[in-house]
Amino acid sequence: MHAVMPDPSPEPSAEPFAGLSRRPSDPQLTLLGGLTAAERLRRWPLPLAGATVAAGFPSPADDYVEGRIDLNEVLIRHPSSTFFLRVSGDSMRDAGILDGDLLVVDRAIEPRAGLVVVAVIEGAFTLKHLHRHRGRWRLEAAHPAYPPLELGDGDDSRIWGVAIHAIHSL
Amino acid sequence: MARLASGREATVLIDGNNFYASCEALMDPALIDRPLVVLSNNDGCIVSRSAAARALGIRMGQPWFQVKDALERRGVLVRSSNYALYADMSQRLMSVLEEWVEELEIYSIDEAFGLLHRPGPASDGSGDLTDWGRRLRRDVQRRLGLPVAVGIAATKVQAKLANRLAKAAGKGMGRGAGEGVFDLGAVADPDPWLEAVPIEDVWGIGRRLARWCRLRGVANARALRDLPSGELRHRCGVVGVRLQQELRGIACLPLERLPAAKRETCVSRSFSRPIDNLPQLREAVATYTCRAAEKLRRQRQRAGALTVFVRSSPFNGTSFYANAATITLPLASHDSAALLAAALPLAERLFNPHKPLQKAGVVLQQLQPETLLQHHLLVPQSPEQERRRRALMAVVDGLNRRYGSGTVQWAACGLHRPWAMRRGQLSRAATTRLADLPTVLALH
Repeated sequence: MHAVMPDPSPEPSAEPFAGLSRRPSDPQLTLLGGLTAAERLRRWPLPLAGATVAAGFPSPADDYVEGRIDLNEVLIRHPSSTFFLRVSGDSMRDAGILDGDLLVVDRAIEPRAGLVVVAVIEGAFTLKHLHRHRGRWRLEAAHPAYPPLELGDGDDSRIWGVAIHAIHSL
Repeated sequence: MARLASGREATVLIDGNNFYASCEALMDPALIDRPLVVLSNNDGCIVSRSAAARALGIRMGQPWFQVKDALERRGVLVRSSNYALYADMSQRLMSVLEEWVEELEIYSIDEAFGLLHRPGPASDGSGDLTDWGRRLRRDVQRRLGLPVAVGIAATKVQAKLANRLAKAAGKGMGRGAGEGVFDLGAVADPDPWLEAVPIEDVWGIGRRLARWCRLRGVANARALRDLPSGELRHRCGVVGVRLQQELRGIACLPLERLPAAKRETCVSRSFSRPIDNLPQLREAVATYTCRAAEKLRRQRQRAGALTVFVRSSPFNGTSFYANAATITLPLASHDSAALLAAALPLAERLFNPHKPLQKAGVVLQQLQPETLLQHHLLVPQSPEQERRRRALMAVVDGLNRRYGSGTVQWAACGLHRPWAMRRGQLSRAATTRLADLPTVLALH
């Protein structure tokens, strides 16, 4: 159903719609503004998307419908502070993070010893384990071949975010 | 003068410092602490500068081509405007701010007004919101890596001033300024602070009004506040008086919680090089029209009128040419084809072979909700026709959303577009496109 077309032969008038508004009782000629919500619905029924009516028995599962599993909910705790990065290299291999993995980084999480963090080293994002060593923060690779890096006192701004998941496609 | 804010409500203005430059540095750590400028559309002029670039004395609004060589010599890095990145960071910023204030009015891509509750009178310290502002700043910095400035006061106009004071370091400012947070309601005597803000920097004072004020010896915000209201009313009516009331701490501009329905939508861009032939102008106008029509359909609106405007470059030395033409549509529409049919003849009318054009734009006006289509007696459109056009637009929009804008387009928009906007220094869509994610090294 569609909008009701006004009668194409209005009374002669300088204003094309002037004649219409004087005769609001005529349903064919009522302008949109003069309609109640119910009237509008009757004339312009909204399609009910996907609302099929089954004529048989109601489904026994109707009471048990749940939302499907949403990976966004599983992987992202704080949407506004979550960023994605792409891993390049194998120095975090022993932490289960491989070359090409999609890294989920949450900046809202406070960096703590034992977490995997993204640090800014020499102008590049670098992936490391954060450790506490003799009262100082230390960045360590999860690979025996790479030496650790001590952080100085004013260096905590170099921790960019905490990695919370590495998504690895097979 | 009495305390500015002793009431329970306070207004806060929070905005990003060097927002575009800060977004760039967030997603590319090679830019941290480096002098960086971001250029406007078409790499025209400087619209954002990192702190290090400011320190070099680089000014806002400088045309890029004038300062390019000098900046290169000084090692200044350059980026084109990356709106995909800034828009995403803006949304993140606003959703974090919503956690901090009861009511938020998003005022622009990087600033928002908020309503706060002042727990007690500011004078005895209990109502001082400076510490609240500091915590907010730290939270935004930690979660988003973006520096913000926080200005708190009784009214919007005052909050703008306070925000300015929060950012203004040095420049003969007293203690407390330039630290990122400023609560004008918590200072013992606001007058010296208001005197530190030049009249040109008061929100709502345009260039001409500022000149009028200066001629009367009104040089700063304090002087404007204390100007007799009659003079101001005489010069700029109720708008001026309202502004003055706000400066005095009496709120006249309420927070706009819901964005007003748009009454106009505009798409305009400058060209990478001047256009001196009609086919290219038609392509450009067609491209902008389609883009505007797309926006309209997303807003669920139709346009009743359409304006095309063009202008030549103010820098090319020849006489300046600017012109515009408007057409009223017989039937309000958001159909790309209908809008193209209206816009292209206007482009032809505006074209002048002797005036190379630097910029064109399409403005859709008299916007109305899609649901209220007024049929025209003389322009019949069958319901069937209407339904099919609608379905076509939905398919086109769906394809362009899914596979990237420009996947399906009208032939009038052209294929090669040699005039298209130049964004030579564009960084990647690091937060919105999977193929553009930054790399994190696991190499050492």
